[in-house]
Amino acid sequence: MTASRRSPRDYPAESRALVDSPVRDAVTAATLSFDGHRRRAWREVDVEAWRDWAEGVKRHALTHLADLLEEAEARLVERGATVHWAESAEDARRIVREIARGRVERAVKGKSMLSEELGVNAALEDEGIQVLETDLGEFVIQLLDEPPSHIVGPAIHRDLEEIQGLFAERFGTPPDASPEALATCARDHLRGAFLTAELGVTGGNFLVAETGSVVLVENEGNIRLTTSRPGIHVALVGIEKVLPRWSDVAGFVQLTTRTATGQPVANYVSLLQGPRRSEPDGPEEIHVVLVDNGRTGILADPVMWEALRCVRCGACLNVCPVYRQTGGHPYGFAYSGPIGAVLAPAFLGLDEAKELPYASTLCGACGDVCPVRIPLPELLLEWRRRAVAQGLAPAAESAGIRSYAALAKRPGWFALAARALGIVPGLRSSRSLPVVGSWVRERGPLEPSRPSFRPPEDAPDEVQASDARAPDGSRLRDASEGGTSP
Amino acid sequence: MTDREDARARILDRIRAANSGREPEPHPGTFPGAAGGAPPASWVRRFIGAVEAAGGEVIELADEATAGRWLERFAGGFGTAVVSPEVGDAFDPGLPVAPTHEADLGVSRAIGGAVDTGTVVLSSREGRGLQLLPPTHLVLLDARDLHETLTAALEAARDETAKSSASSLPSAVALHSGPSKSADIGGIVVKGVHGPGRLVVALVGAPRRPSPEGPAGRGDPSRSVSSEPGDACTTANETEPGTGP
Repeated sequence: MTASRRSPRDYPAESRALVDSPVRDAVTAATLSFDGHRRRAWREVDVEAWRDWAEGVKRHALTHLADLLEEAEARLVERGATVHWAESAEDARRIVREIARGRVERAVKGKSMLSEELGVNAALEDEGIQVLETDLGEFVIQLLDEPPSHIVGPAIHRDLEEIQGLFAERFGTPPDASPEALATCARDHLRGAFLTAELGVTGGNFLVAETGSVVLVENEGNIRLTTSRPGIHVALVGIEKVLPRWSDVAGFVQLTTRTATGQPVANYVSLLQGPRRSEPDGPEEIHVVLVDNGRTGILADPVMWEALRCVRCGACLNVCPVYRQTGGHPYGFAYSGPIGAVLAPAFLGLDEAKELPYASTLCGACGDVCPVRIPLPELLLEWRRRAVAQGLAPAAESAGIRSYAALAKRPGWFALAARALGIVPGLRSSRSLPVVGSWVRERGPLEPSRPSFRPPEDAPDEVQASDARAPDGSRLRDASEGGTSP
Repeated sequence: MTDREDARARILDRIRAANSGREPEPHPGTFPGAAGGAPPASWVRRFIGAVEAAGGEVIELADEATAGRWLERFAGGFGTAVVSPEVGDAFDPGLPVAPTHEADLGVSRAIGGAVDTGTVVLSSREGRGLQLLPPTHLVLLDARDLHETLTAALEAARDETAKSSASSLPSAVALHSGPSKSADIGGIVVKGVHGPGRLVVALVGAPRRPSPEGPAGRGDPSRSVSSEPGDACTTANETEPGTGP
């Protein structure tokens, strides 16, 4: 699956196409589960202090980024690793191809959103190299030739039944095979690859400047194997992943994991300092590819640079009521959900990606759960402001807001329109009126309250609670009267 | 400049330009979750709780002799093993050796452990394959190497390996906190997906009291800490004027 086939422009059509599919239920179940785990795990610790600290470390790292990257590079080179600097996705692909050329038949891969962003798999396959995704979720979507649907759980859009069917078809497992049996099948299939692959490719959760350490977190052990068995390890690391100190790692690993899956720490954490030295095993060559691909542009943006703090935990996806309806595919970009909606215009330009900041109810849940306090709702609004300023906002929306503003500034006309809605038959259920139409398409006709929220000119200053009526005219009970609410 | 040096220079220049209008922000200091402060007497119970919550097993063994006897019984359940050179004769299960990718049991020696996260700290110096390929992973952890927090355990890993080999970390420090697991298939948790499906930690002895200059900051200098030449506590005491054992 090449990255270039997908685009955020297709979001409206792609998301509508999923309306009655099993994806919504599968994604809803998975995200609610992840979020439930996060809530419990956050309650166990002083999470606000942890978030303040993590935000502070990342702000420090980003404002000292050049020095820290130079320090990381120096430490890596001292340890015998090779450091590459990739300005663009094309550069990164070229670097990886050159490392592999002529000596790699098979590559094993740990889950890496950056490798998805850069299109690295396709680049290796173009060299005739077989690329095997080893993360179980990535393994599943590789079989389906689909992109990942979620930052942490790539295959959450597929339920157990679908995966049983897939494995039965590809590997001959029984159609009702248990998750254990399916996992065993995947493990057996991949075990040979770990033992024979010449190249292991991963991303990097963090890069520690003080020690030149590439830090990778996981639960399965596939990344430990990917970085231990093959003779060559290539780590793709976005320049924003730098942490200043060895002593920062424990905090970030714990906060990221508690937020992503609710565990106190990821099952396996690898802290890698260069190739093997007088050790029984381990790679002989380590290549760390530091990737820009638009990150320096985002860093220069006085508002959007805050999004570079992202630790890819997926929490914002897990709480987003819009993401939950469709999973990640309609976003047409490596990163989806709220962070994807902020990063896509930053990486691809508003012209290409403007649908995504509008794919939001602005409920604010994403900002509440970000472990490094990225102000996601504010950033989404800022993209909308910029879209309007550049004349990119949907024409109908601009026209609608302008007419509403004209009406709202003229109380006489406003009152007339409100009365008309109440009196003129058919207006309240009209599918073609702005606002009313959107309401009516998803719900029933508009039902005004009686009495109207607009008091008549001769009304007393206070409207009594006891005056309120339900739409059928019955009295609404006052809270002080007791009894159950209507 | 070569192309490579060009790309590097351009990226660094762009970063510096991007940050030129921005106030540099200071590092906020120690992670608030590194504070610790609970007495070592509680550590073993908490460590066991954390490891078991993640699906691992912990065996408490009073001393080396007890451990040896336990190991003989435990090893009876396995055909072949691959054993870390760091483990020593006392903890060698005495099983026939098999290549790493075929052995039933891998035996490691942890260089440390963390109580708050239920973690064993492993080094690549003993080899990585034996930590990953056999379906059961037995990790020997001396309780004196337990630290209350993951932060402290990682700090010690850096200092510990510095002592053994010219101030450098091994090529890989690995934190293991349970058996391999995944919930990628329909959200149902499955063990032993790639790494070992069974993690057994053999915890030998009792924890050591932390040094007064642990990551939590200055402790009570009047608390007596038994120290011997060459252990971490002695070094700390030497730098604190006016205190002593």
